[in-house]
Amino acid sequence: MPRASAPPRRARPSQLAPLATRQPAPAPLLPSGLLERLLAEAMARGGDFAEVYVERTSTTAVVLEESRIRSAQVGLVQGVGVRVIAGAKVGYAYSDDWDEPALVRAARTAAMIAQGGGAERAFPVHRAPVPSHYRVATPLEDVAVALKTKLLTRADRAARGFDSRIQQVNATYVDQTRRIAVANTNGHYCEDTQDLCRLAVHVVALGKGNERRTGMYGGGGRVPFTHWDLHPPEEVAREAARQAVATLGAVDCAAGPQTVVLAPGWSGILLHEAVGHGLEADFIRKGTSLFAGKLGEKVASELVTVIDDGTVASARGSINVDDEGTPAERKVLIEKGVLKGYLYDSLNAKLMGQRSTGSGRRETFKSMPLPRMTNTFLAPGDHAPEDILGEVKRGLYCATFGGGQVDISNGNFVFEVSEAYQIEDGKLGRPVKNAILVGVGPEALKNVTRVGCDPRPDPGMGVCVKDGQMLPVGVGLPTVRIDNVTVGGTRVG
Amino acid sequence: MSNYEQLAKKVVQRAKKKGAQQAEAFLEVGRQSSVRVREGQVEDLTEATSKGVGVRVIVKDRLGFAFTSDFTPSGLDRVADLAVQLAEAAAPNKLNGLPTRNELGKSVDPGPLFDPKVAGLAGDWKIRAALEAEKAGRDEDARVATFDSVSAGDFVTEVYLASSEGMTGSHSGTYVYIVAVPVASEAGQLQTGYWLDYKRFLDDLESPESIGREAARRAVRMLGARQVKTQQVPVLFDPLVAASFVGNLATAADGNAVHQKASVLASLKGKRLAGSHVTLVDDGLLARGLATTPFDGEGVPTRRTPILDQGVLTHFLYDAFTARKAKARTTGNAARGYNALPGIGTTNLYLEPGQRAPEELIREVDQGLYVTALLGHGADPVSGDLSAGATGLWIHKGELTHPVQEVTVAGNLLQMLTDLDAVASDLQFRGGPVGAPTVRFRQLTVSGA
Repeated sequence: MPRASAPPRRARPSQLAPLATRQPAPAPLLPSGLLERLLAEAMARGGDFAEVYVERTSTTAVVLEESRIRSAQVGLVQGVGVRVIAGAKVGYAYSDDWDEPALVRAARTAAMIAQGGGAERAFPVHRAPVPSHYRVATPLEDVAVALKTKLLTRADRAARGFDSRIQQVNATYVDQTRRIAVANTNGHYCEDTQDLCRLAVHVVALGKGNERRTGMYGGGGRVPFTHWDLHPPEEVAREAARQAVATLGAVDCAAGPQTVVLAPGWSGILLHEAVGHGLEADFIRKGTSLFAGKLGEKVASELVTVIDDGTVASARGSINVDDEGTPAERKVLIEKGVLKGYLYDSLNAKLMGQRSTGSGRRETFKSMPLPRMTNTFLAPGDHAPEDILGEVKRGLYCATFGGGQVDISNGNFVFEVSEAYQIEDGKLGRPVKNAILVGVGPEALKNVTRVGCDPRPDPGMGVCVKDGQMLPVGVGLPTVRIDNVTVGGTRVG
Repeated sequence: MSNYEQLAKKVVQRAKKKGAQQAEAFLEVGRQSSVRVREGQVEDLTEATSKGVGVRVIVKDRLGFAFTSDFTPSGLDRVADLAVQLAEAAAPNKLNGLPTRNELGKSVDPGPLFDPKVAGLAGDWKIRAALEAEKAGRDEDARVATFDSVSAGDFVTEVYLASSEGMTGSHSGTYVYIVAVPVASEAGQLQTGYWLDYKRFLDDLESPESIGREAARRAVRMLGARQVKTQQVPVLFDPLVAASFVGNLATAADGNAVHQKASVLASLKGKRLAGSHVTLVDDGLLARGLATTPFDGEGVPTRRTPILDQGVLTHFLYDAFTARKAKARTTGNAARGYNALPGIGTTNLYLEPGQRAPEELIREVDQGLYVTALLGHGADPVSGDLSAGATGLWIHKGELTHPVQEVTVAGNLLQMLTDLDAVASDLQFRGGPVGAPTVRFRQLTVSGA
């Protein structure tokens, strides 16, 4: 089931991205003559279409715990995935050996999906220019590990200095320099370099009676390392510490329907779950999403306009081209409450008689592309954020979030609130703990009654998981009021 | 000695030559094959091989780690050199070090892990199995409208480990699985079902037909699901949901979280947390278990470790580094892939079953919720608070009645352990190395209308 989340609390081994060694960047990744040979091998049994995807990703990961650098690591993962389409069937094979015989073997394996005996043909490719939505002059893999380490020690000091009740600080910095090349039998060939970094800080605050509260914040994007001069790690650390301290003394959350106000920014995760996944074309084509067949219908309040935009400068979810070589787009999914479009990769687009929206993304060469979101936003409205809060007599203010998850078919989603406050007579009251919002996507969006004029992107820490594939995404939202939301909690009555 | 074992030893030698006092190479090789079908046709076939090696070194109490999937001689030299360079730039920590000769010890034979039948499974078998599961699902009920996916696959993995502290070892294993995800439709509502089986041995695998049918039943029974009102009632978790609860408990028993006092269990060792019918075990040697191996991710022999023994919190889980830090002993719970340093993880984790059938546990409930799926991350191991979206079936006078959705269940791990009043006999490892039977909690808060 798709889910989005903040950075894992403690990066699990398999999730800690691969990593980075410094090598002179060979251009191109594979010689075009070899790409053409692989395409010809892939088509040898009579497929309709073939594609070669080449990836080389270097990653650095540094972990701090108990005020010490626990580890710094670098690594390199490289490989090639070959996809052959014959009718509606797909053959896929990949190899992490770069040598020609291994790559040819992969191409021949993928070709097995086609049953015919195609004639020998040549598939020349021509390198196409790609747009530029992020500029990282010095690849992150070329930045000294010692500088990355320093971000964490600064974050640790800032978090501990924020309040004496901060008891534990864990911080991680992960970056990658990912180079991809895509060549296909339509003659299209392009390359892109995608640098990405993220700093994440988790803290535990200790209050009276052994009460422990956590805070988590992160930041980063497709940015050069100089990003951290403008956005110092101390800011991220203090925000994590603030959350943990602010929620000490939180009271039990009342269970049942409430009016909810969402803070701007990271709350955009609600859109990602409540509608985003349900608009991905694979679910639409298979008829497994409750949004299938609803184009042109009203699926949300007219205050709701939802946009997926892969072209936002330097944003975490941005891509110049997707993992099929299609340029990223800005797509209006819902306009004033009316469903306008879906997110397509090339395969689902072809099977549905549509064009790709540049949404075909994959985690690595080991996976086939799927239609996925990039940066998903709610367009701003007219309401002043202080008026939105001021109008609510009793309700719940959701300041920050842990993550969310959705069931595509019945539309049930959850949205975990890590920092929340009671609203009493238009003002923030006591913090509440253990709150979660649950709803059915379209119903929740029909209950949106205020949209603020204060749009805000998240700070750059979103991870989306679908079919086991993890991808960086962005979300964003202005202050929003939703009526009659079911709030999970422990207190009844 | 295999080529890969020699390769791992060579990487260790290279790192030592470059100045490492201690070095370890963890090398993985695998191949996998899978098929997905849709409406009686193959949708896609995937075949692949993969490999990688991670090198951990200690240079004057400093730790370095690097990994690569490049197995050319120069690629392997480079990864060893890089690990040493990283260590030289790191801060020293007296606690750094590989597991000692003593800790590495001698591993116990875990029994068979490799099934030649799975390793030699023909591609046709997977296509046939997936098609059979799909057909059985459709035949089970006309309200099965479509499938999100039906797939079958297998993989073979080999692990080679070499340590300068006196250990070289290897193990290899097989895995085979079938997954069916049908979508049922009625009166404009769509409901997904999900059922699978995942085993090391082909003969242990549930039949494709039975997987397809059960998946369909689970989708169809959710049709017409609705909210219930907010209330506190007895709640049962089915074995899949109970397994996620058990996973949350184990996360809180992570020795590092405990040492950092970032666990709700941190100060409770030796205390009674649940009734004597509650025994939670991590067992790296479980016969035919999915996570069974002779040694963990850093070469330490695996073993059986009770976390809760008849309701008493008896053990936390450790790798060698955390154990040294916490003045405890490693429990052989270092988990890793080649691309990461070892960290604490569970092996085969399960709640021991009780004597009674799940139906009996349901029959004793007047009004309550039988939960079949949770949405969300589960419990926060620091505070123990759990708040999650839930779907399931309503219990009325001891019988399962209408389906329920758009509700949440909330509680706290410690209170839930106290309230865990019955454990059924239906222990299952369904789709992973975490297993549980049906469990019942005296009372949880269900939020709805």
